[in-house]
Amino acid sequence: MEVNQKVQLPTIEYEGFTKEESAELRRAGVVLGPLEQIKGWARSNSLWPLTFGLACCAIEMMGAGASHYDLDRFGIIFRASPRQSDVMIVAGTVTKKMGPLLRRLYDQMPEPKWVVAMGSCATAGGPYVRSYSVVKGVDQIVPVDVYVPGCPPSPVALIYGLNKLQEKIRIEASGKKVSS
Amino acid sequence: MSTTLRSEEMILNVGPQHPSTHGVFRLVVTLDGEQIVDADPVVGYLHRGTEKLAEGLQYTQIIPYTDRLDYIAAMLNNYALVHTVEHALDLEIPARAEHLRILVMELNRIASHLLFLGTYLLDLGAMSPFLYVFQERERIVQLFNEISGARLTYNYMRVGGVKWDAPPGWIEKVREFVPFMREKVKMYDKLISGNEIFLHRVRGIGVITQEDALQYSLSGINLRSTGIRFDLRKNRTYSIYDQFDFDMVTAENGDCYDRYYIHLEEIRQALNIVEQAAAQIPDGPVLGKVPKLIRIPAGEYYTSIEGARGELGVYIVSDGKDKPYRLKFRRPSFVNLQILRKMLIGQSMANLIAILGAVNIVLGEVDA
Amino acid sequence: MADDKKEDVTEVKSEIKTGSAEAKPTASTKEAAAPTAKPASKVTPAKAAKAPQPPDPRVEQAVKQGEAIKAAIEKKLGADTVEEVTATKDIPILRIASAKWREAVTFLRDDPEQSYNYVELFAGTDYKDYIEVVLYFYSMTHGTYINVKTRTPRDEAIIPSLTPVLPGVNWEEREVYDLLGVTFEGHPDLRRIMMWDGWNGYPLRKDYSDFQNMPQREGEPHS
Repeated sequence: MEVNQKVQLPTIEYEGFTKEESAELRRAGVVLGPLEQIKGWARSNSLWPLTFGLACCAIEMMGAGASHYDLDRFGIIFRASPRQSDVMIVAGTVTKKMGPLLRRLYDQMPEPKWVVAMGSCATAGGPYVRSYSVVKGVDQIVPVDVYVPGCPPSPVALIYGLNKLQEKIRIEASGKKVSS
Repeated sequence: MSTTLRSEEMILNVGPQHPSTHGVFRLVVTLDGEQIVDADPVVGYLHRGTEKLAEGLQYTQIIPYTDRLDYIAAMLNNYALVHTVEHALDLEIPARAEHLRILVMELNRIASHLLFLGTYLLDLGAMSPFLYVFQERERIVQLFNEISGARLTYNYMRVGGVKWDAPPGWIEKVREFVPFMREKVKMYDKLISGNEIFLHRVRGIGVITQEDALQYSLSGINLRSTGIRFDLRKNRTYSIYDQFDFDMVTAENGDCYDRYYIHLEEIRQALNIVEQAAAQIPDGPVLGKVPKLIRIPAGEYYTSIEGARGELGVYIVSDGKDKPYRLKFRRPSFVNLQILRKMLIGQSMANLIAILGAVNIVLGEVDA
Repeated sequence: MADDKKEDVTEVKSEIKTGSAEAKPTASTKEAAAPTAKPASKVTPAKAAKAPQPPDPRVEQAVKQGEAIKAAIEKKLGADTVEEVTATKDIPILRIASAKWREAVTFLRDDPEQSYNYVELFAGTDYKDYIEVVLYFYSMTHGTYINVKTRTPRDEAIIPSLTPVLPGVNWEEREVYDLLGVTFEGHPDLRRIMMWDGWNGYPLRKDYSDFQNMPQREGEPHS
């Protein structure tokens, strides 16, 4: 169709190729890139989070995954087993009784893996910060990549957080550092 | 089929991270082949010490914590607390506030029951009801968002009334929602209730007898599914429930199907209440005359309301100060869950999730 | 319906203060601790100010009802089973000697006159000098409420378990054991329910401190 022909993507000039060769690659629809970056691109678009609902935030996480907000369109599909997942969304209050189990689940996840702390309880204890049985932030147990504030964060906020995580994965794949 | 083959018992650990336990609930099941020999529920993975925290907070400051107990029906939890405080203080509530309370409570009951339908069917292997219910639930959540500013943890009720009046056009939106939802309930009824696979999974499974239900002090739908007519909205009327025309829904068999069906039927009844309340809501203030610093006279008080999961009570011991000396929540999920062990023994493994799902627990409430 | 409720309620107000002051530890433990004596002194002026109001009929009736139940219990189980009868609003409160706790509750459940067959609430409270366990009982047949309670000393908190007669308080007793440190004699499965076995102290006691569990955080709470 016309539209396709009109879209003239800029030719990327690759090192070690002549101009004509680069144009030829573009015409054939081939993009070259470092392996790490391509892996980062693929990983960031197929994040499989572990269904790990702990408390109130789990309902908003379910809401984000259900029909209205539909996380599937970002390639984010919930998995029930830590062995199959890349991202742990810690959705809710982590208690001292749950802490060791959370760590075990994290250890069971294959590399590369990321952690999203959803809500203020997982971030820093939230309203339960003075409680005798609550861990003051999940980052005392596992390293956290993205913190999503809110009590609970709306699905929109969670999606924003996950997009930030995708961004982070891509930036890190290109060799730069992202401070958390 | 006994004794020729000897099989060894196996211990299977379900949870705390399991998609069908609705949170962090753990069940240690002893199996003989497919048969459940023993089950030991382990709770406490979400124990957040709410009761201890509440001892250091003023009554108004406790309201946000009640949101996070039964986070699926937070409005009802809000009300349970303020109701006990109002009962202790003998406060008078303006009529508009009472109507708004009824509206949000019943809408929240619908949202909670919808979530039950979706997740229960999901547990049994049907994916699509989950996707359907979230659309209707999203509409209710949007209504709550407009009136309270939050989607899940509302912090809407206050001692003596409610925090915000309904924004312009909100009541009309609720009125429009009622016929819309009625159609949807009809659709669910057609979609699920006659489904052969579903019926085979839930009919005659997890039967509770009336004696057991009373002995284990079950409440709410678990109690009514056995045929005992006990609904606090009718038996011990609170707020202005006596002004509305609705039925108490009961069933006879006490199995999982009855529990599912009462949930569906209660959505219809809640819609009746919402319709009437939206029709007759008067104008006026939404917050009664309440002292700035709420002090309850020394003594102990207990009142309970019909929550989405059963009898939701708050027990306050006051020493006359502005903070409770002791606050105890009577959490229906916690009490209802005790019968699980008795229901599971002798059943086959495949029925475990069907039985657990129908008890309809929320872990935030079980563990407090 | 709503109107006459409110009328009742305004009258009750003064009476609760007097009634509950007796029911509360504040009155009975005046000589004990200064902090507990404080609210009692706070209550008295209010009580004096509102004294002219006539006593509320509902509380009077509840106490009368409680006395009747007391008589029935003591006829069956002997004198000094019921230590005290008071009332809050329209609910009679019976304080039962802890030695006869299970017998009295069983009697209330089985006696056709009473038939309190539904446990509404089971809770424990630490009153600094003693621990009190409260049971709100409801009668499905008569539609009446009763509040029975018993006391036990703090340092040696032992109460007969109700689980053999009322299976519905199983977990509630475990919760009270876990968070308040009351041992229920005869409970089939008395373990901690909210915290784990290595946990130190009882969080809902008033003298609980978070530092009690500080060194514990190194180890794994789970076996």
